[in-house]
Amino acid sequence: MKLFEYQAKDAFAAEGIAVPKGMVCRDAASVRAAALELGFPCVVKSQVLRGGRGKAGLIRLVKGADEAERYAAELFSGPHDVRSILVEEAVDIGREIYLAITVDPEASTALILACAEGGVEIEELARTAPEKIIREKVDIDVGLLPFQARNIGYALGFDADGVKRFVPVLEALWRVFKMKDAELAEINPLFETKAAAGAAPRLIAGDGKLSIDDNALFRQGSSEPDRSHFDSDVAFEAAKEGIPYLQFDGDISLMCAGAGLTTVVYDLVNYEGGSVANYLEFGGPNYKKAVRAMELCLKNEPKVILIVTFGTIARADVMAEGIAEAIAKLKPRCPIVACIRGTGEEKAVETLKAAGLDPLFDTEEAVRRAVSLAKLGGKA
Amino acid sequence: MSIFIDRSTRVVVQGITGGEGAFWTKHMIDLGTRVVAGVTPGKEGQSVEGRPVYHTVRRAVAEHQADAAMLFVPPRFTKDAVFEALDAGIIKIVTIADGIPLHEAVQIRKAARSCGARVVGGNTSGVISPGLAMMGMFPFWIERVYKPGRIGVMTRSGSLTNEVTAMIVRAGFGVSSLMGVGGDPVPGTRFAEFLPDYQADPDTDAVVIIGELGGTMEEEVAEAMEAGVFKKPLVAFLGGRTAPAGKRMGHAGAIVSGGKGSVADKIAALEKAGGLVADRPRLVGELLARALGRA
Repeated sequence: MKLFEYQAKDAFAAEGIAVPKGMVCRDAASVRAAALELGFPCVVKSQVLRGGRGKAGLIRLVKGADEAERYAAELFSGPHDVRSILVEEAVDIGREIYLAITVDPEASTALILACAEGGVEIEELARTAPEKIIREKVDIDVGLLPFQARNIGYALGFDADGVKRFVPVLEALWRVFKMKDAELAEINPLFETKAAAGAAPRLIAGDGKLSIDDNALFRQGSSEPDRSHFDSDVAFEAAKEGIPYLQFDGDISLMCAGAGLTTVVYDLVNYEGGSVANYLEFGGPNYKKAVRAMELCLKNEPKVILIVTFGTIARADVMAEGIAEAIAKLKPRCPIVACIRGTGEEKAVETLKAAGLDPLFDTEEAVRRAVSLAKLGGKA
Repeated sequence: MSIFIDRSTRVVVQGITGGEGAFWTKHMIDLGTRVVAGVTPGKEGQSVEGRPVYHTVRRAVAEHQADAAMLFVPPRFTKDAVFEALDAGIIKIVTIADGIPLHEAVQIRKAARSCGARVVGGNTSGVISPGLAMMGMFPFWIERVYKPGRIGVMTRSGSLTNEVTAMIVRAGFGVSSLMGVGGDPVPGTRFAEFLPDYQADPDTDAVVIIGELGGTMEEEVAEAMEAGVFKKPLVAFLGGRTAPAGKRMGHAGAIVSGGKGSVADKIAALEKAGGLVADRPRLVGELLARALGRA
């Protein structure tokens, strides 16, 4: 689960990393009040989970209260589903650094990534200047050792005093990574402030990304996802049911079983010139949830529902019964294309035929039929 | 010969008394797998499918000389179960658990490597050599998928394995050994780490990898081919070619992040190394036939 910037910064600050003074607001009037309190210029930052907020116009340096309020109102009513805004004091930036901790699956270690040229997305750095990325593998059981933090600090160009300020920041980020079961703990940019007269520069987290491992949420009690973490109401409902779901904006609803197969059906629909309304898996532990799954699909008002399964644990006959029950209960008006294979498939075919469907056995044929039905406007 | 498991492999089933454990133990035995014992803490003295159950892996190994462990253990207890098996000296471990915490998956892989052991999974259907033996949950009775033959298969996805393997069989081939490495970001064993086994296996003529977006396992296969570790024909089928960046497509490991893991990069690497890449499941069989000179 990805956290919002303000949540990530709360976690960083709790471990002693300096963050700009800021306030989280949920309406434009509060943004105005926060800006007045923080003084100008200040930074108005949309709290959304997408990357590249700066380029998308979702962050702005504002110089006055009216500007802050007007911009906030635009953000709240805009197309990006902005539900909260972080207003922060502006920082006197000397330079920007990239710093992140993730895992190295091949080496089976944690991996620290750092770069003296921060502010850029790591994807872009990896593409344009991979040699500038500093990497340090950290044994997940031993933990981050001081020498490793020093290695990175000196590689980032800090002098001896600077390294003394940097090491505690990295150690704090390591504690966040470990304690929060993070997939990714990232500070980008980490600001080094301009040295003011008589005062040493400071290190301040300009942005924060913290992505918590979904498989560890059970022990990260306070971090339950809410509606603001999802693209759509249906996606949020599906998550509450434990049904894997992704929202798209096309017209064919996928109701498939198994992550790998669903992904390939998604590809095949695109190859055939169709478009996907949603990705939904009702396999594995959810294979008896066909009624709920179809209900979720129908909320997208799809032109076609495309069901493709090839079960291992999920029995084809049980899934077919669930689909028959869903059809009887929900009476979908759009056509349904079903291709259900696996254990008990002979019985599944009978069940589907009795429910008025014309079951297929070949995935590609099923996809082609779904795409052509969708092009006809969903008339069976 | 097969890789990883055959009829001489002595398997202990951890979590054998659970519903899934008992169900799949029966099927493993039906296929010919030599299941020698089970383990469920607190249930010593019971038996499942005629196999004695022990409190600890250590006792099961002492009594039955098991050398492989099949885990039907929930994700949050998987680390404990894997370490228990490693501690008892077991060097082949398969875990089907879907939902192992990421940091624990790192610890599991690290521990297995330091013991010279292999953990397969989690988030997998397991390992099968059709007609011989399996550790996991494969509907091997579906003949149009699990037909014995001479093609090795490595996969990140259970559902897609059925789909693609059916195409291998439809093209007139069968499967020698199928290794489900699983759909997690940190699998216990990676594709490239099985390539030397397939290279050495006289019963494997070619290998099919069923991969997807995310991670670098397919790129590592390409590197191993370039380095001459694997010289047999290799066909790849990869899911997620049209997946939008930043979306996690089902499996925890199926996401492009940090500039790594796009299917386009994987295809380029594999083709450069001499691999054949199918863009549709149906083509896997055709490409195999071409590579093996049967088309």
